[in-house]
Amino acid sequence: MNILAQLIVSGVSVGMVYAVIAFGYQLTFATSKTLNFGQGEALALGALVGLTTINFLIGQAIGTFWAYLLMLPIVLVFGMAQGAVVEWLGVRQAIRMKSEAGWIMATIALGIIFKNLAENIWGRDPLKFPSPLPEQALQIGPVRVQPMEIAIVVGALALMLAVEIFNRTSIFGKAVVATAADRDAAGLMGVNTSLVITFSYALSSLSAAFAGVLVAPVTLTGASMGAVLGLKAFAVAIIGGLSSGIGAIVGGLILGIVETLTGFYISTGYKDVPGLVLLLLVLSLKPSGLFGKATIKKV
Amino acid sequence: MRRLLPLIAILALFAVPFVVTSPYYLHLLQTIAIFSIVVLGLDIVFGYTGEVSIGHAALFGIGAYTAGVLSMHFDLGLWPSLIVAPIVAAAFGALLALPALRVTGPYLAMVTLAFGTIIQILINELVPLTNGPLGVKFSTPALFDWRVYSKTLPFLDMSMKRMKEAQFFMLSAVALVLVVVVINRILASRYGRAFEALRDSPIACDCMGVSVYRHKVVAFVASAAFAGFAGVFFSYSEQYIAPNNFSFDLSVLFLLAVTMGGRKSRVGPILGAAIIVYLPNLLADIHLFRIAAGAVAAVAVVAGGASALRNPESRARVVVPVALCVAFFAFSLFLENIADYKLAVFGVMILFVVYYLPDGVVGFLKQGLAQAAPGLFARKAGSAAGPAGDAFVAAPQVDMERPLLEVRQVVMQFGGLKALREVDLEVRPRTIHGLIGPNGSGKSTMMNVLTGIYTPTSGEVRFEGIDIAGFKSPRIAALGVARTFQNVQLFGELTLLENVLVALQHTYKSGMAGIAFALPRARADEAAARARATAILAFVGLAELAAEEARNLPYGKQRLLEIGRALALDPKLMLLDEPAAGLTAPDIKELLAIIRKIRDHGVTVVLIEHHMDVVMSLCDRITVLDFGEKIAEGRAAEVQSNPRVIEAYLGGAAQAA
Repeated sequence: MNILAQLIVSGVSVGMVYAVIAFGYQLTFATSKTLNFGQGEALALGALVGLTTINFLIGQAIGTFWAYLLMLPIVLVFGMAQGAVVEWLGVRQAIRMKSEAGWIMATIALGIIFKNLAENIWGRDPLKFPSPLPEQALQIGPVRVQPMEIAIVVGALALMLAVEIFNRTSIFGKAVVATAADRDAAGLMGVNTSLVITFSYALSSLSAAFAGVLVAPVTLTGASMGAVLGLKAFAVAIIGGLSSGIGAIVGGLILGIVETLTGFYISTGYKDVPGLVLLLLVLSLKPSGLFGKATIKKV
Repeated sequence: MRRLLPLIAILALFAVPFVVTSPYYLHLLQTIAIFSIVVLGLDIVFGYTGEVSIGHAALFGIGAYTAGVLSMHFDLGLWPSLIVAPIVAAAFGALLALPALRVTGPYLAMVTLAFGTIIQILINELVPLTNGPLGVKFSTPALFDWRVYSKTLPFLDMSMKRMKEAQFFMLSAVALVLVVVVINRILASRYGRAFEALRDSPIACDCMGVSVYRHKVVAFVASAAFAGFAGVFFSYSEQYIAPNNFSFDLSVLFLLAVTMGGRKSRVGPILGAAIIVYLPNLLADIHLFRIAAGAVAAVAVVAGGASALRNPESRARVVVPVALCVAFFAFSLFLENIADYKLAVFGVMILFVVYYLPDGVVGFLKQGLAQAAPGLFARKAGSAAGPAGDAFVAAPQVDMERPLLEVRQVVMQFGGLKALREVDLEVRPRTIHGLIGPNGSGKSTMMNVLTGIYTPTSGEVRFEGIDIAGFKSPRIAALGVARTFQNVQLFGELTLLENVLVALQHTYKSGMAGIAFALPRARADEAAARARATAILAFVGLAELAAEEARNLPYGKQRLLEIGRALALDPKLMLLDEPAAGLTAPDIKELLAIIRKIRDHGVTVVLIEHHMDVVMSLCDRITVLDFGEKIAEGRAAEVQSNPRVIEAYLGGAAQAA
């Protein structure tokens, strides 16, 4: 029983990382029906920029915890800029050319380029990210939890909440929602939809970069750290539904927990398999995802 | 001549191993042939159905590992593998495509990407089955020892190793030519037409009984089978496979090959395969890379310059890609060490191809040639009509005692809006039933409910006694319900004849295998369908335009073509959604005659129309809807004098009177 509880707790923190990345997919899918196939690379870049920044700040004799906090805004701004570049180079033109698959190829290509650049700047070997919180695990009831795992859950929820509040209350958020509901109509009402799409890509990469610095202290940091995470988040986004914020969280938790359980009870080698199985199962049973709404075709 | 072409190609390719004596280059050519098979298969999915697969390397790997497992555990060699591997790969393809294609969107791309990564992990993990990271060794088989003839034919005198290599190259070449032939046949068949049609108008495709979902799945499964087939050749050609051979990067390379070579052609994917096979060499040698970049820049300058001279307006469009090509060449001169930036260069290539070469090299050349010599690529008369058959088969069997269509208490709710409120409707067999009402009264919603585009929130829709509420459109079409669309939904890029042929899909009895082997039965099916389609076009008065593309038709004729296409389903019930909209007076006269003839052939018609003279002169019974409710039903005269109908059309005046 204790083992099960312990596994579920670690599954939750993994799952919340997936949820944040999947949330990023949802943001762009809502406004433009496209998503960034290089999201994993956005995550890795965020983590690596974070690493350089935090090391610089620690070098200025700032404590690791404060250095981490000071680093966050820099990473978030970098994430936004990176997302805007992806949108500008990879998505905007493809949408304009009405090319169905162009954006998929273009975002993959940008992902490859970013990864290659990261390898040349930071090297191919995984690096250690300084942990802002003590690495000593806390004993809470029957389970042991690393403080950073709690920080991941809190940080992930805070980010998603912040974006939701922004969308619901600010006027620009309303423009985002309007574009998501009907891009053409929003455009005719004077919403600058292409700016909204750029912005959604900026927010999407911001989420990925944030997920990168959240997860970096508990794993190794490197140019290829994002590939598998980005993939898992695909599964999460589809399981939860590409249009539902709650779906991303629930999907993330399901996948995170199932993976840790598989890793423990079957074999760590097969840890990545349930993602695909769940993905195919959900698509067969409820194609719009557990929390997604079926779309209505117009004739 | 055309039928001899594959044979000539095979013979020409047979000569290659005697001309190319370097084992290295022969192997390179062989790899190109093998990759071509994968890329040609991928083109069916990517080029024709417009879906993206980022998992073809994994399917290719599954084929290769099937050969590996058969040889390691069952001691079975090349030949059994060539049969088993495509089946295994196709099964995996079905496993992915069946769920992933149920929804429109980038789902197939996402699922195949996940699949590609996970298969690689699985191959690594399943050590007892696959030998894990250590990989599998193969030895190239000798087909027969031709050196016994070397006395008479001196060029056959060679070492055992070289003979094996030459023979395996020949085998791969035969496989490639056969694949090209089979793919050509599939694409020229009803499947190819369905692939074109489903991109033009998926909804019309479904409503003609040609399920978009099923055809996309078929395309993907066939494509997976080709990838698996090629995988076997790959393992025997490389003589060693390991999980790393089948990575994400290879899947992306395959996609690049299709795009760069040119989609929707046979030459394009083969050219693309040649490029991606040669690419690693290019990116490994800085001198070679500079030369290639220089050549590309030179071609861009010449082609761009020519285009700008001929058409000054295109100057702005041309200048960016040309500048990029030149800049890229300059960059290659500064680049010291290419190995580290290999992937970035590869990424830049993809971006460039996606934006500036969307039709690939073949498309680019075709465009250039078409400008230089117009008429070279004019559509061939191959799709012209043959001898005509009968437009109608025997009148459909219907039970005259009960209504053909019974709608009971149907509600259709969109969020808070009720587009249909507990509507009842009865359509008696072999009548023309009018459905009228002001704009927004729910007529088209009713059509969409009847044809399965919408699932009603509640209520029953009985067609010949079967409740079809919730059935998908293709199934309803198969039961015998055909329709036309208010906003015309033709397959614009297909000819008129082909538009009708798509709807005649249900008359074909032979399957994919019959088409691949060009069995007499498959040919008979096609000939019969063409005769029938010609007759149907004659019936709607479009016979002489049979070879024209549908998008070139004037509006009125498009509506007639839609009726002809619906007739091809041999429907029991035909739903016409505003067939007279936008028609001129003489056209309307023609339309009236056609609709009457359709009824006289035993087909029941439901007619939505705003032209009251059309409705009143044609309809046996009329139902009137207003704000989603039925407000009147009866014969024309009864409806015309009904005060609620007058009120609905003219407002409250009737009440005051």
